[in-house]
Amino acid sequence: MTDVFPPDLIRLIVSFVIVVAFAFTNAAVLVLVERKICGHIQRRPGPFEVGPHGLLQTAVDGVKLMAKQMLVPRNADAGLFRAAPILSFVPPIAALIVVPFARMLQVRDLDIGVLFILSLAAVNVLAILVAGWSSANKYSLFGAIRAVAQNVAYEIPLLLSLLTIVIWVGSFRMSDIVAAQGGFWFAFTPMGFVAFLVYFICGIAETNRAPFDLPEAESELTAGFHTEYAGMGFGLFFLGEYTNMLLVSAIATTLFLGGWNGPAFLTTAGTGFWATVIQTLWFLAKVYGLIVVMIWVRWTYPRVRFDQLLNFCWKILIPISMANLAVTAVWLKL
Amino acid sequence: MAVITPLLKGLAFTLKRFFSKPITYQYPEQKREPSERWRGLHRLKTENGQLKCVACGLCEAVCPAKVITVEAKETPDGRRFPNRFVVEVTRCIFCGYCQEACPKDAIELTRNYEFCGYTREEFHMTRDVLARN
Amino acid sequence: MIPRPDPTLETLVLNMGPQHPSTHGVLRVVLKLDGEYVLEAHPVIGYGHRMHEKMGEVRNVSGFYANVGRMDYAGALSFGHGHVLAVERMLGIEVPPRAEYIRVITTELNRIASHLLWFGAFLLDLGAFTPILYSFDDREYILDLLEHVTGARLTFSYFRVGGVNRDLDERFIQGTRVFIRRMRSRFEVYHKLVTGNVIFRKRVEGVGVISPDMIRKYGATGPVARGSGIPYDIRRVEPYSVYSEFDFDIPTFPEGDCFARYRVRLAEMEQSLRIVEQALDRLPDGPVMVEKVPKKLKLGPGEVYQAVEAARGELGYYLVGDGTDVPYRLKIRPPSYSNLSLLNELAEGVLLADLVAIMGSLDLVIPEIDR
Repeated sequence: MTDVFPPDLIRLIVSFVIVVAFAFTNAAVLVLVERKICGHIQRRPGPFEVGPHGLLQTAVDGVKLMAKQMLVPRNADAGLFRAAPILSFVPPIAALIVVPFARMLQVRDLDIGVLFILSLAAVNVLAILVAGWSSANKYSLFGAIRAVAQNVAYEIPLLLSLLTIVIWVGSFRMSDIVAAQGGFWFAFTPMGFVAFLVYFICGIAETNRAPFDLPEAESELTAGFHTEYAGMGFGLFFLGEYTNMLLVSAIATTLFLGGWNGPAFLTTAGTGFWATVIQTLWFLAKVYGLIVVMIWVRWTYPRVRFDQLLNFCWKILIPISMANLAVTAVWLKL
Repeated sequence: MAVITPLLKGLAFTLKRFFSKPITYQYPEQKREPSERWRGLHRLKTENGQLKCVACGLCEAVCPAKVITVEAKETPDGRRFPNRFVVEVTRCIFCGYCQEACPKDAIELTRNYEFCGYTREEFHMTRDVLARN
Repeated sequence: MIPRPDPTLETLVLNMGPQHPSTHGVLRVVLKLDGEYVLEAHPVIGYGHRMHEKMGEVRNVSGFYANVGRMDYAGALSFGHGHVLAVERMLGIEVPPRAEYIRVITTELNRIASHLLWFGAFLLDLGAFTPILYSFDDREYILDLLEHVTGARLTFSYFRVGGVNRDLDERFIQGTRVFIRRMRSRFEVYHKLVTGNVIFRKRVEGVGVISPDMIRKYGATGPVARGSGIPYDIRRVEPYSVYSEFDFDIPTFPEGDCFARYRVRLAEMEQSLRIVEQALDRLPDGPVMVEKVPKKLKLGPGEVYQAVEAARGELGYYLVGDGTDVPYRLKIRPPSYSNLSLLNELAEGVLLADLVAIMGSLDLVIPEIDR
């Protein structure tokens, strides 16, 4: 167990503050990174006016969003309408507490770590459902319906691919999984690679990002489930989306890419301050690498259609991940 | 494989573009040079400090949007000049017919494409404003 | 009939537009949905109505010419071409060959620009955000070239009854040759990024299939008709201007789905490049305006129908003169209007996302429909 801060209460408060601060900073950085990457892919510089190379753009955007009034449509269910953004934002942050950023840098190392994250990640769909339903807008409702069908479907291959690793390691505990990857990373084994690929595709679908951004689907549903949200309501959905991306990538890193382990000799399993720093850097490098890939994919592909999305999940991803799981199980038994 | 290769090609393509130089103008700092024939804000040309316009009213007649108003007057030595010459720039469609119709080459559409103001009246450009444009 | 919400039914009436990201302007489509499936789609037009036809009846033809580019802002020169040809035919004006060549060159460049705009917008409808920026990069070259000769980037007002406004210069000719070379290499880019992409293919193949019978029934023209295997192109069936002098193909694809229409437009851009290249090679010398254009263009009495191939299909001007310089009647047959009328039948039973793809593939320019 990690006991960086011995008295439990102080530890809790401090880690809570750190996790929330990290989530906010992450979102702020990612918004800028996304806009910059998208800009450069499209051969334009992206935000450029606020601060050097537009570095302060997100700060200004944040201020703008906070300054704006959050309108509630007349027919909307006001209570649920206001609760939905919070519902989308809090669970991914809460899930961050079991993520092992380094050997000694983990808020709680629950023995059901993977399960804990997955159950919290599943709340995201509830947030979208509530948002879409309470908006009293047909486009929002469509977004919500799509989100539910999509997330429920994609959760299955996602779980199956994670289960592959879990039965391999024989533990739900995040630190055990990372420790099992001291020598090799699961993504570089045949079964692990398939599971990783399936997981990553499902992760993109779970975070509702293009090409699976059907709940938002701008050209079809204007803005989907958050059509009616303005100001910080929209801002929180945004924060939630980016925190979700972080979470999905963090799980991928932990389970498939060796967590805080660096490649070969550049790694350390120590518990000292510098070892922790190095481990954290490795972890974040992998996480953000994956996020950049997600952004890159988003700005390259068109959106899939709804029935294709579900067919792809039920007819391709689920059989693959089930077969993969079976092969892994047999192989482990041998 | 036939499915995945084009997808990877697309990714490789956008990646290549990511490392290429932006092709946009950084507008207020970096301005685009319009062509010689650009039809921008109107100007009444002058010659030796005098307007070339003789207030014949052809531009007024030809203007499809009817934004030009000309009122002629004569100087004591018998030269016609526009006493009043108003272009309602907000309603102008910048077709350039006035410039074409003018027999004296007295009105032209300049290359100025950035003109702004706070009131509508600022765009009811009178003779002296147009001469300064 | 436009459907009304009915709480007793299990269907939903959804009002798509007039402000919606993929209705390209101010088209309103009232949809009757069963879940995500479209039962009925009723286009409601008129939000961009600006009385262009009426304006054509109250002002003289040269004054009206400024209007035509504003109907179809994406392919303004084709609209101008039809108008001046109609008037010239009525007046019996013989245009100098150089002027006709210039008209063809600029119109074809404008057609490419229009197809590039469509390409980007279509992919935007399908959820791909990046291709529009690439196609605008190419379109920018065309607009720069056209700006160089016409003085404007969108509403060119370049042709005149009896010729064109101003002559081409060497810089335009050289610039166009450079552009043709560049554009030929760019098609590979589009195919690499878009055409081969399996997600794109799944979205457009077999979607919105239009049978040749439907094309005939609704009078659809242009790339929509050619995407259903009907080789109907005014430039070939009723050659106007100097088109009969050029060697070009009419690309047709028999499938009739969105992908066929996509391929027709991409192939058409290549054909337009061929036309421009040939026209530049053979560009005759001489004046660009007839010697004597009467001050007052006395129309008729009589009537004339002049059709040209605009970027979206057959564009017709029906001009009735009564002996004055103001037309008695000016009826415009815009291509998108007929193409849009297909939507009602096409939309039956498709998914909402397919409807967006179908509307995108019809390449609608709403101000031209509403006029």
